[in-house]
Amino acid sequence: MGALGKPIILMVGMYAFLKFVLPNIPGSAPLPSSLIFLYLLLTASGIVIFETLSGESKDAFWGPIQRFLTGENIGGLQALRYGVLILFPLLVGWQTYGSTAVSDLPPTESRTIHPAPPGEYTGLSNPVPKTPENIMQGKGFYAAYCSPCHGGNFDGKGPAARGYIPSPANFADPTTIAMLQESYLFWRIKKGGVGLPIEGAPWKSAMPRWEVELPDEWIWKIIMGEYDGAHQSPRTWE
Amino acid sequence: MKPANQIIRQVLRGGVGVLTAMMLGGGTLSFAQESVSVRATLMTGGVPVDDPNAAAWSSAPPATFPMSPQVHWQNRIQEVTVKDVIVRALHDGKQMAVLVEYTDPTQDPDDAAALEFMVGDKKAHFAHGQPMLQVEGGPVNIWFWKNKSGKAVDMNAKGFGTLKAQEHQDVKAKGAYSNGTWKVVFSRDLSTGHAEEDVQITPGQFISIAFAVWDGRKDGAGDLVEKGSQKAVSSWWYFRADAPPDYSGYMYAAIAAALALGFQFVLIRKLKKGQSA
Repeated sequence: MGALGKPIILMVGMYAFLKFVLPNIPGSAPLPSSLIFLYLLLTASGIVIFETLSGESKDAFWGPIQRFLTGENIGGLQALRYGVLILFPLLVGWQTYGSTAVSDLPPTESRTIHPAPPGEYTGLSNPVPKTPENIMQGKGFYAAYCSPCHGGNFDGKGPAARGYIPSPANFADPTTIAMLQESYLFWRIKKGGVGLPIEGAPWKSAMPRWEVELPDEWIWKIIMGEYDGAHQSPRTWE
Repeated sequence: MKPANQIIRQVLRGGVGVLTAMMLGGGTLSFAQESVSVRATLMTGGVPVDDPNAAAWSSAPPATFPMSPQVHWQNRIQEVTVKDVIVRALHDGKQMAVLVEYTDPTQDPDDAAALEFMVGDKKAHFAHGQPMLQVEGGPVNIWFWKNKSGKAVDMNAKGFGTLKAQEHQDVKAKGAYSNGTWKVVFSRDLSTGHAEEDVQITPGQFISIAFAVWDGRKDGAGDLVEKGSQKAVSSWWYFRADAPPDYSGYMYAAIAAALALGFQFVLIRKLKKGQSA
């Protein structure tokens, strides 16, 4: 088994490295199993190419495998051999079953969380001067119209939020309004859930179409109050 | 012998393939089934369309969905009685029944519940199929039950204010109240002759479903607290009627295993011949 020992150690070592060591390197992340498999496949091909470079190494590499499969002079490994010979067809059968079975999971939803707004809602700047009075007024409107879902603490956990999934946006989360421009918020508040494009399907947003009920000026003030209350700043391109 | 080496290589490649598939497949096997869908269990014998307390319901897995006050459109409501609905469903290949169960401290004549489905291939907004501004959505089919009428109304809507009872009433409903809990069973044939208006249910296919509940209690002045658009709602979830059992997967698995076994047999025989030659 000498010639096979090193390749086996190499494969196991490679797997351990990809699975356990690499994700812990700063700036890295766990690898998807498909990528790990691809790397292992490359390693295995490398080994096979290397081992079959010369006639001698080829025999040294394939010889033990052949002896194992034919069961000649392998002594104590005989039981393992039978195990492999029984397990392999079973695995193939199991895998075939798995690939033909119908999934019990509902269709995946590839919802775009922040779809692009219509052209007229890009690059608008807030026409309301940023004064303490206006911010205060915006927070008042927020409390009246927005907080039932988006929460008095701007955390998306208002009393009316529980049944709405995906949850109402949590403005304190740095991946919501902090990465959006005021112009974008103006669009989403004005048009609400029914203003979503097809990428926003399956249209589960309960966000009201506030343009029907609130003047634009109030909406701009609400935006101001939201950023201030959630301790976030609008995204700018400068 | 050369051919033997090639065969071994193929075996190894196949083996690696199987192992990979296992690694990849393992990821999807471990998903826990959360309440994201209602599963209508396939049963034989009559579906309990008139009996919210029938023993058959225990064979249907319950799914729980959270409810919210309806805030999308005026008139809104900020607080509602019902916080969750527990939903079970059964079908027999022809008829289906959905049991909606929820806690309501008082039984009132105006207590009501409804199921909502998308109709046809077009998507619809969960709020009564409110018209979308950028895309054309489809209508919704609403099955509405009210305690005092004791029956269901089969309706359609394409936006608030457009709700209309159909000419063809295909849905039945029956409610039973006890110990602070409503159990309401809605039933209909899986398919109807009106695909433009009615949701058509094909076993094995996922469709969208939403729920609404009204607590018919009155306030001090004698006015209904929850009425019309002031109700508890859910957004879209999935519904699927189980398809009849399909055993072909076992057959394919057996064939594949037999082929693998035969392949091993031929391979080892060849290798043995090669060694003795």
